[in-house]
Amino acid sequence: MKVGKWKLLLPLALLAVGATIGTSGALATPAQANEVRFAIMTDCKGAFAFGYEVDTAGTIAALSQYAGAKPKNKKKPSAGMTGGSAGGKRLNLVGIGCGDETPALALKETRRLMVQLRADIMLGPLSGDEAVSIAQWARQNPAKTVIIGTAGSQDPTMQIAPKNLFRYHGDGAQWNAGLGEIVYKRLGWRTAALIGDDYSFPWTSAAGIIADFCGIGGRITKRVWTPPAGGDYAPFIRQLPRPNQVDGYFWLVGGANTSAALTAFEQAYGPLNARQHSGNLFLYFLGANTTVAPRLVGAYMGGFGTFQTGGLKNAQARNYVRNASRWFTGQNVNDGFFYNYWNAAWAMVQGLNKSKGAVGPALQRALPRSLKPGFQVANKGVLRLDSRRQAIQDQYPLQITRASGEGTVSTSIVGYVPNVDQTFGGYFGPNKPAPGRNYPPCVKRKLPWQGKIKVVKNGVITNQVIK
Amino acid sequence: MTEAAPAVEHAEPTLRLRGVGRRFGGLLAVDEVDLDVVHGERRAILGPNGAGKTTLFNVICGDLSASTGTVEIFGEDVTKKPARYRAKMGLARTYQQSRLFDGLTVEDSIYLAIVGVEGGRLRPVLVPGKEREIRERAREAAGRVAISHKLGEMVGSLSHGEHRQVAIAMALAAEPKALMLDEPASGLSRGERQLLTELLLGLDRDITLILIEHDMDIALRVAESVTMMHDGRVIVEGTPDEIRANETVHDLYLGRGYGHE
Amino acid sequence: MTVDRTKLATERVIGVAALVVAVLAPTLFSAFWLNSILTQALILGIGAASLIFLSAYGGMISLAQTGLMGIAGYALANMVTQRVPGGETKGLLLGWDPTVGLVAAILLTVGIGLVFGAVASRSYGIYFLMLTLTYTVIAFLFVGSVTLIGGFSPVAGVDTYTPGFIGDIVTDRERLYYITLITAVFVYLLVRYLVRTPFGVSLQGIRDEPVRMASLGYNVALHRTIAFGIGAFIAALAGVLSAWWFGQLSPTTMGLDATIQMLVIAVIGGLRRIEGAWLGAIAFLMINNEITNRIPSSGLPVIGGTFNTVIGFIFLAIVIVSPDGLMGLWDRMWDALRRRGGPPHAEPEGGEPAAVASS
Ligand SMILES: Nc1ncnc2c1ncn2[C@@H]1O[C@H](COP(=O)(O)OP(=O)(O)OP(=O)(O)O)[C@@H](O)[C@H]1O
Ligand SMILES: [Mg+2]
Repeated sequence: MKVGKWKLLLPLALLAVGATIGTSGALATPAQANEVRFAIMTDCKGAFAFGYEVDTAGTIAALSQYAGAKPKNKKKPSAGMTGGSAGGKRLNLVGIGCGDETPALALKETRRLMVQLRADIMLGPLSGDEAVSIAQWARQNPAKTVIIGTAGSQDPTMQIAPKNLFRYHGDGAQWNAGLGEIVYKRLGWRTAALIGDDYSFPWTSAAGIIADFCGIGGRITKRVWTPPAGGDYAPFIRQLPRPNQVDGYFWLVGGANTSAALTAFEQAYGPLNARQHSGNLFLYFLGANTTVAPRLVGAYMGGFGTFQTGGLKNAQARNYVRNASRWFTGQNVNDGFFYNYWNAAWAMVQGLNKSKGAVGPALQRALPRSLKPGFQVANKGVLRLDSRRQAIQDQYPLQITRASGEGTVSTSIVGYVPNVDQTFGGYFGPNKPAPGRNYPPCVKRKLPWQGKIKVVKNGVITNQVIK
Repeated sequence: MTEAAPAVEHAEPTLRLRGVGRRFGGLLAVDEVDLDVVHGERRAILGPNGAGKTTLFNVICGDLSASTGTVEIFGEDVTKKPARYRAKMGLARTYQQSRLFDGLTVEDSIYLAIVGVEGGRLRPVLVPGKEREIRERAREAAGRVAISHKLGEMVGSLSHGEHRQVAIAMALAAEPKALMLDEPASGLSRGERQLLTELLLGLDRDITLILIEHDMDIALRVAESVTMMHDGRVIVEGTPDEIRANETVHDLYLGRGYGHE
Repeated sequence: MTVDRTKLATERVIGVAALVVAVLAPTLFSAFWLNSILTQALILGIGAASLIFLSAYGGMISLAQTGLMGIAGYALANMVTQRVPGGETKGLLLGWDPTVGLVAAILLTVGIGLVFGAVASRSYGIYFLMLTLTYTVIAFLFVGSVTLIGGFSPVAGVDTYTPGFIGDIVTDRERLYYITLITAVFVYLLVRYLVRTPFGVSLQGIRDEPVRMASLGYNVALHRTIAFGIGAFIAALAGVLSAWWFGQLSPTTMGLDATIQMLVIAVIGGLRRIEGAWLGAIAFLMINNEITNRIPSSGLPVIGGTFNTVIGFIFLAIVIVSPDGLMGLWDRMWDALRRRGGPPHAEPEGGEPAAVASS
């Protein structure tokens, strides 16, 4: 072991330099008084990695529209923004959180953004478990304000519901309102099995389906939950009843894994029959799969309360699409990921304007309790928050349609369910358990919108009800 | 330089092997060995490389289980007992390849040999009186093999000869009733061999000594009885003089002027 | 010898200085640095110490430590959190007394550690490594698939229900820092003490030559099992602190990434000296923090792997320069000084007559 002295000292010296750089950020610097520090929390890894650009685009587009900001790069939203002010203060985007849908990383990133980078407001997160995690964090940090980006678990605004947490969109259950009734009436389903990722968003999503489908008289005969990490779906598919044993299947398997799960189904039980399959917004992610996706043309699915293509033909929706489309190239502003972050950012601007740039409890008081987002129709287009700061939102069940490209699919709106509230008219509640693997139970019950879902044809809400 | 003292005739057997065999896959390394060693005896086990001497040691001390036969030490059948049990009965040994604790000091190594048979092996606290006593014994054992000046050195940094000294110190420190040495002289210089021989000759007569040694000079001077092994079997037993005179032994071993190892 | 003494003295001085800085840290560093980097480094250091204890003194490189940390955290979280409105939603929510929960969680972890250790006690090297990795994977899959105790969703509130002597660590983060510091010092002293006891010296013997130890009278498997149990105890302390620090538990805290991270920390610090645990942890976190803060703003494409790539290169560099990590580097520097400091001692007087024999 003949090592020259310098060879040993060099790494030590490098280490010392590294340590100096590393600790340079260790000493606190005071925040500037004339700025509002905020952060975006989204995913850049895992099944929703695409969200990084889309969510950032929605946020920056809204700040450009309403607060005078400008995207740094029209093609690359994550490059950030310049300018922008609200309530008389400069908007400072201190960072973009990079999660991977796991709660642990979400919490780490939240701390980095909110504590180290000293953001006062967070727009995000993207995914359900992340939101549960961050809601718990928010409960312990009342001076910080969180506006959920596009995460659909029920707990954050139902059982946990800290006063500094806002959500201007529906949860996973709301997003599926009406779906169960449609497959019951249009496809004659009476029994169905359900398969989903094993975490809070699919649980909440399933809760919405169960509430609707069982509410009108259907029966869920089997619930299968798969580890969210993905992988091999075959063993889970085999736990499902065979296609001749149930009328249909509800799919809640998410993100990048949707088509893997459906492919595993085909391998076990043969080609998919569109009349036997339904699911939540995760079916959006099929778009890229030109083998499986075309077989599902005609299948019904839940959504975000938005629509992938072709909007509602009304002024408020058209107006939103026009405004939102101005800021970036290559962004689909009908996408719920974009739309929900847009609304969150817009609400933040309104709140800051009203609080004159104050953050903390002042901002929390000032944040709007109602908003006029693009796709709200009921109440003259005004979306309201309930007492737990959760949106009461219109919902639009969708149907998968053929698109122009070979093997590609799109969606169109088939129904209109006005003013879906998070409790489903008392089916869920803050003192009831959060949705889980076996909760809620399957029971017949009248929901507020039962028998009143309007037919939507070519983007126009008709007066017919779905039969 | 005294000749070996005459064998002490004691009734109690220290070691009694019956039909002991050890198989490695298709190879029968030790085959149907019967062996009796009595209290206080000095026994050498000789044989060419690969004869099965070390394997026999391993079976006796329990590092390896016997494939066939029974092993009795100090009158007790220990065939099914683990090595640690036999060690605590008073059986100590050294290894052909030193097998020492490279990351420990000489003192700690000898300390371990004492603690191993003394009890308190799992004690997670220091009892000062007890520690002092064991350390004292360890230093004393080191003195007996003239390694006192290296007590604080890491064993890994010592020379080959010093390793041998440490190994013997560890074996002696446990105050065993029977001591098995596997080629203690191999790799030692002339002077070191001389010291070793004197140490062995001066060993307490109450300690039974079983010795594997290729150095005939040492083996035949120390031993009172000799067992000759070949191909896993015992082929001759006798006094050193008988062995010197034996023709088979000559053919196998002495005549060919076997070196060390 | 004099070089050794200088080295020891230098280490003492550095150690005391580090302790003084650690005690004064709340006045020296920003809140973020104190609460995130330093507290976390101490916690990860304790976790790594459990790994280094086993590897440096027992020759066992265990990948079960993150699993055991997770088990302790999950046990604690499930035992102490309560079912209240506006509160936690996941886990068993048993609502036990926090002190009872704390003790029970640690005991449970040690118990599981002893079982794990007993099963692995006859395996060495790569087999031991794989077996202990399996333990962590089992723990991960267990908490992930048994949704009753959490599933993949976060179990929260564990930091709200702390024993009285721990106090409020949610709002008083300095308190948590000091608790962690005290625990780290305790673990350090515990390991340093333990390895001088009969148990500890024996463990080192087993590390070097298990077969020899058996023929010296030791029950090698039992020894290794108990060592593993002690490792589990240290890991349990880290697990509890980590649960308090995080405030929430989810299976990823004992996923493959976390397990590899723990190993990387231990290797960066140095697998042969217990001090390396905390050195590795602080180095790792500083690199981690720099990279996550720098890369997005510098406009590089944010790839999930960027951090892992950078840390991977640093890891590689350290391992190539010094296989025994930063502590190894330090030791080798002194070795070089020693060689320079004059010829080695004259060889011992070979011919001196031995003080032979007993009678
Ligand atoms: N662990 C083992 N696995 C397989 N074969 C072995 C093992 N140990 C020993 N052997 C074989 O058993 C035979 C006896 O070996 P052993 O070491 O007992 O001989 P020995 O008499 O001690 O020889 P030497 O004088 O060279 O030390 C040899 O052929 C050896 O290769
Ligand atoms: Mg041999």
